[in-house]
Amino acid sequence: MEGLTVKAFGMIAEKLPEQEFKFPKKENTEELLASLYNEYPNLKDLDFSLAVNQQLIQQNTPLEGDEEIALLPPFSGG
Amino acid sequence: MSRFSRQTILPEFGQEGQEKLSRARVLVVGAGGLGCPVLLHLAAAGVGTIGIVDGDTISESNLNRQTLFGHQHTGRPKASTAAEVLKEKYPDLNFEVFSDFLNTNNALEIISSFDVIVDGTDNFGTRYLVNDACVLLNKPLVMGAIYKYEGQLMIFNYGSVALNYRDVYPNPPSENQIPNCAETGVLGVLPGIIGTLQASEVLKILSGVGKVLSEKILFFNLKNSSFYEVGIQPNTKGRENLPESEMDFKDRNYNINCGIAERINWETALDWALNMTNSILVDIRETGEKPLFEKEYLSRIPMGDIRENPESLSAYENILLCCASGQRSSQLAKELKQQFPEKKIFSVEGGILNPASPLNSNEYDT
Repeated sequence: MEGLTVKAFGMIAEKLPEQEFKFPKKENTEELLASLYNEYPNLKDLDFSLAVNQQLIQQNTPLEGDEEIALLPPFSGG
Repeated sequence: MSRFSRQTILPEFGQEGQEKLSRARVLVVGAGGLGCPVLLHLAAAGVGTIGIVDGDTISESNLNRQTLFGHQHTGRPKASTAAEVLKEKYPDLNFEVFSDFLNTNNALEIISSFDVIVDGTDNFGTRYLVNDACVLLNKPLVMGAIYKYEGQLMIFNYGSVALNYRDVYPNPPSENQIPNCAETGVLGVLPGIIGTLQASEVLKILSGVGKVLSEKILFFNLKNSSFYEVGIQPNTKGRENLPESEMDFKDRNYNINCGIAERINWETALDWALNMTNSILVDIRETGEKPLFEKEYLSRIPMGDIRENPESLSAYENILLCCASGQRSSQLAKELKQQFPEKKIFSVEGGILNPASPLNSNEYDT
């Protein structure tokens, strides 16, 4: 199946139906986030960092459409 | 065969690697779920001097994961007990015990005398504090963190691009996102795995063997037995949040509370209010809320007034707040903790309506 692959970690995964799922193609990471927030409003309450193809990004990043996106929250436990 | 022969016969490691270990000084912050396996492996491998920082004591519920400790140790301080257990196993090693939590006053001094720092703490506040101190002092930091069945491993201030925790997470998350630290479940073996990985990275840094996991975060998922690696780069926004100097660091407030206020039961609250002059028990219900109580141990200051003028409570070290059900007092306790991080601030469990409350009676009309 075509499209983005979204992988969620930690507390983020608990707010989503699956730890890993396919998501329709988006132009860039900002659009992707907006769609994710729209579909899963619970995500808005949490801070996380975003990785595209296993590389952390810091700003809006263009997407080809077949990337692997990881939603990475901080963990505090020890 | 000597104690270290199985590692000194490794060609890359050799006697030279062993000597590097025995000359090294490693500081382990937090002797808990992560700290225990880190300490155990560093000591077994022969790291010459190990510092242990922890202000906590051992409780029964620690024992599923804090593998240096057993039933006989409950109630005892973690840092000195860990040192004692390890000293018995390896009498030739040196242990330096710091039985306090790390704070802005002691962190720089403690950290500065060590070569490598290991973070195994259990809260965001201390994680950012250790990170910022290690950036200021340019100390390699091996950070591990866990959440339920997952773990993170990161190595900072090491290698050609010195990265730090704020490159990954520029700011601590807001308080309402933080689970109650003490009550998040964890399968004991998880910190065992992450802590052992931390120890392995420390040994690589010290001996020069292998490639240290720098410029990356490694995620581990126990349920899927899977690892996931993510590359990291300097983050300008994160770096702007770093303290500029040691002075700036010391002035900062790294206190981040768990999402839940500390609670106290009625029995203890009454005891403190009656017998400790530096304690105050405050009924924070708003003006007009009934019934009124006239008790020697109880002061009435409405929540709104306290929010407007928190300084009115500044003379007390222990501030105990109660309301009807414990909800508002819990909220206010969190807010006041921000204002007075050094004070003990509690919400009285269940409030006035709690059956254990001496103020609970039939006249209370909900």
